[in-house]
Amino acid sequence: MNAAGSLGFAPDQHSPVDWSRLGAFVTNPVSLTPRTPAHGRRFIAYPGGFLLHTGYPNPGINQVLRRYAGQWSRSPIPVIVHLLCRNADEVAKMTRQLEPVEGVMGLEVGVSSEASPEMVAAFTQAASGELPVIMRLPVERCTELAPVAIQAGAVAVSLAPARGEYPVGNGEMVRGRLYGPANLPLALRVVHETTQMGIPTIGAGGVYTQAHKDAMLAAGALAVELDSVIWRGAGYRILT
Amino acid sequence: MLASDLDNPEAVLGIPLFKAENAMQGFWAAPPIPVSWRPGMNLDLVGPLGHGFDLPREVRRLGLVALGETVSRLMPLVRQTAQSQVGMTMFTDLPLPAAPASLEAYPLASLVEALDWPDYLVFDLPLEHLPELRSVLGLPVGTGLTCPAQVLLTTSMPCAGLAHCGACAVPTRRGWKLACEDGPVFDLNQLKW
Repeated sequence: MNAAGSLGFAPDQHSPVDWSRLGAFVTNPVSLTPRTPAHGRRFIAYPGGFLLHTGYPNPGINQVLRRYAGQWSRSPIPVIVHLLCRNADEVAKMTRQLEPVEGVMGLEVGVSSEASPEMVAAFTQAASGELPVIMRLPVERCTELAPVAIQAGAVAVSLAPARGEYPVGNGEMVRGRLYGPANLPLALRVVHETTQMGIPTIGAGGVYTQAHKDAMLAAGALAVELDSVIWRGAGYRILT
Repeated sequence: MLASDLDNPEAVLGIPLFKAENAMQGFWAAPPIPVSWRPGMNLDLVGPLGHGFDLPREVRRLGLVALGETVSRLMPLVRQTAQSQVGMTMFTDLPLPAAPASLEAYPLASLVEALDWPDYLVFDLPLEHLPELRSVLGLPVGTGLTCPAQVLLTTSMPCAGLAHCGACAVPTRRGWKLACEDGPVFDLNQLKW
């Protein structure tokens, strides 16, 4: 699978990606109302990876449905819509909008890195209905929150990118999501721990080679989500 | 286009690459390029991405302004325009490569005094310096250039248009646009600056 935010809102039939190499397509994060790009510095490279702070821009659920529902219905692989919500009411509202859409085979619901166990349970319950729910949890807190998500009805958990901050001079720090192979050891440890707990886990974070993917599966991952490796030479070595 | 060194595990992302000049079996890329790149190595190229400069036929006096780390990204336009009767002046403090005789060059500081000369301007400008462009041109807030202009905005384009990730988003009068898809060359009058 691709990770949310790595391949856009719908599988582009004209793209060079061989979609049959993916088990499912995960959309960019979609929010109830439109979100604009983050201001200021959005990309910082460092050894082993990079920090991205984009604000997950998207046109909101109504525009996304207008623009992409047709492509989802024609998708050669199952489509999983990633929900970016501020509260459980938003999760419930978007879930009801997505359930009747042809081609949508599941929901992945993100939570903030500060989410409480109660919020994770509430988000999971709000998304539960006709579609299977994957809860995307902060990798640093996955072992704490994953049992809550599963108990509340999620079929699996996936790992959100770690968050960090990086100095950009003048004492200023930029906060954002961390990508790149430097994240693999942490992701592998978390996958190992959650699967040992009997929690179906979709591994993600730092997978850049076939060997990384194999290690993730050997650690017990149900599936693997690819993120920024797809952008590196379009990830052709993995997806073509 | 985006160039990736797939044999280097430390090269986590591709690098935006701009054509500086055509060559017999390819092209010369505008510097800078990563120090890890060596002659004979293999690169994976994706692109071309977005669109480049597109000058109107009526242009007679072209001003070029290089505010980035190189003038090389403007040189294809210089060589193309040199075959016509268009007068060209480059404003920059950067070193100039071998250039057609028809290209005059002046330091950047002279640009403010010379703004009434060109009937068209092109800029090479890092996106993060867009807010400073007004002061470089000596233009008070609320005023604009007297001639049309296009600007090549250089910025990181990590997803190369695959994900609409928003890292290369540019503020325009019609909302946010992406440099990887809608640029990297923009009509300056359409930008918020």
